[in-house]
Amino acid sequence: MRVVSAIAGGLGRPGWIHVAIPLALLAALAATPWIGAEANLLRLLFITFIWTTTGIAWNILGGFTGQVSFGFAVFYGLGAYTAAILINTGIHPYLAFAGSALVAVLASLMVGVPTFRLRGPYFAIATIGVSETVRVIMSNLSVTGGASGYRIVEATAFRQADHFYTGLLLVSLAFVVSVLISRSKFGLALTAIRDDEPAASDVGINPLTQKLAAHGVAAALAGMAGGVYARYAAFIHPHGVFAFNTSVYILLIPVIGGIGTLWGPVLGGVIFGIVEEQLVASFPQAHLLIYGALLILIILLEPGGILGIVRKGLRHPRLRFNP
Amino acid sequence: MAALDWLNVVVAAVLLAGIYAVMSVGMTIIYGVMKIVNLAHAGFMMLGAYFAYELFERGHLDPLVGAFLAFPVFFGIGRLVYWLFVRWLPVSNQPTLGSLLLMFGIWLVLQNLAYLVWGNEDRSIFTPRTFLTTQIGPITISTLRLVAFAVALVSLVVFELVLRRTWYGRSVRALIQSRYAGQLVGVDTRRTASLTFGLGIGFAGMAGALLASLYSFNPDFGRPFLIRSFVIIVLGGLESASGVALGALVLALAETIGILFVPAGYQLAISFGLLVLVLLVLPGGLAQLFAKRYRSA
Repeated sequence: MRVVSAIAGGLGRPGWIHVAIPLALLAALAATPWIGAEANLLRLLFITFIWTTTGIAWNILGGFTGQVSFGFAVFYGLGAYTAAILINTGIHPYLAFAGSALVAVLASLMVGVPTFRLRGPYFAIATIGVSETVRVIMSNLSVTGGASGYRIVEATAFRQADHFYTGLLLVSLAFVVSVLISRSKFGLALTAIRDDEPAASDVGINPLTQKLAAHGVAAALAGMAGGVYARYAAFIHPHGVFAFNTSVYILLIPVIGGIGTLWGPVLGGVIFGIVEEQLVASFPQAHLLIYGALLILIILLEPGGILGIVRKGLRHPRLRFNP
Repeated sequence: MAALDWLNVVVAAVLLAGIYAVMSVGMTIIYGVMKIVNLAHAGFMMLGAYFAYELFERGHLDPLVGAFLAFPVFFGIGRLVYWLFVRWLPVSNQPTLGSLLLMFGIWLVLQNLAYLVWGNEDRSIFTPRTFLTTQIGPITISTLRLVAFAVALVSLVVFELVLRRTWYGRSVRALIQSRYAGQLVGVDTRRTASLTFGLGIGFAGMAGALLASLYSFNPDFGRPFLIRSFVIIVLGGLESASGVALGALVLALAETIGILFVPAGYQLAISFGLLVLVLLVLPGGLAQLFAKRYRSA
């Protein structure tokens, strides 16, 4: 029971188990390349790190703040392209990832400033428009090769363990950011906005700035994930990183695991990483159909996702949450 | 550009606006009554296009007759979807996370079912009417667009009459203004919501069928129209079919004139740019503009 309550991560002073479980997981993952795991497993884990990071990022905005975005591919793609261009100039990849985060934050402001001032569905709809527009622009932009894609040439040799640890570092960073936000006053403000925006502004929270901040943090994480992925893939094209499917996957991950929770996106990312590998191999045509049906089922039957089912099974009072 | 060219552009915009209005009126009433952003609207429009296509290919039925038939068929589909999925959503005065994600999921299912059934190649409907033009004075108009416009106009006028003159129409307008007050005076919210959802999907299917004879389409058809519908809603407000028509006219003018200055690939950027502009300058839509005038006078 304590383990489960720790995974749910309530407010208040974190108990030892809140720290022990993530650390143990981190240690186990960090050891994987050492104990001679095969390259395919490392690749699967790396992809899972990337997806989990984007899922955690989406969850900060969608789960904590209640603002649904259908356009996270914009940040992922912009991050990928920024990192690609910067790495090709020869600077250190980690600096390039910082550049990815910066560009993504700027893009998040351009979407957020006009739409977050208003309550209602403006933001959600605008994100669909933004992702369409950005993909069209990137497909026609000659500097980055347009629709034919962009290649990344690094001076150093490809070392899979290097990419693996970058991914692990990134997902750990995303998780820590998510934990810190959920335990801070900022996180409380976000939850207040999600649950009742007029009431939140009555108690002195500025919904515009708080939403913009949450969007910015989420965009930075998604942008860095795009950058790390681009360096690994060494070739990116607009219909990959900016694809509508990418936005769908990113929002699906926290929804599967448990929206608005700390571990939901992690659980969702792991499941998605594995399922996507298997599904793409066996049903290349139907996987979005399956994801759509899954989305409908989760929303109607158990909006809390897998963690919601676990909680209902355990009926633990500390595990309650209201989506 | 000569004055005659401008006249042609404006006429083209008005004709386009008629179809845009039919397309967004469905989304408008569903949003107004239920506060649900029907993201699946795009999916039903796409199905409407294939509906007209299949009737034409298999039954040799005129696509415009298909558009009229699409309305009752999609009305039924809409009520079924409402009964199966939408009615389980918690009632809210603003769009919820759950409703957005549910409608998005329905859209994904529709779109990808269509990929399985029809594949991803572009389809189009060619009739002897496709390339005909009509000459009215100095203006040349595609006959097809003219007829489609007439169909759109008739259905909008009928809908406006339903809104003004029937008990159902009064219920819809009451719920749009205040759900709570509507319930107090005895509006059956469930029934109104179910009928509204059916009507909204009916209009989506009809608009898709009308657009199918003007443009080529594939299972992804409808996505650019989703954002357009929303721009029209933001512009025109939720009160009436005439507000929707006005919003549709503004968008159609912006697009038709914008296409002269912006490359065709960026056409969607025009509607999106208009959305951002309206949200920044006139968050209350065009109605706000008139309200301001009224106050200052």
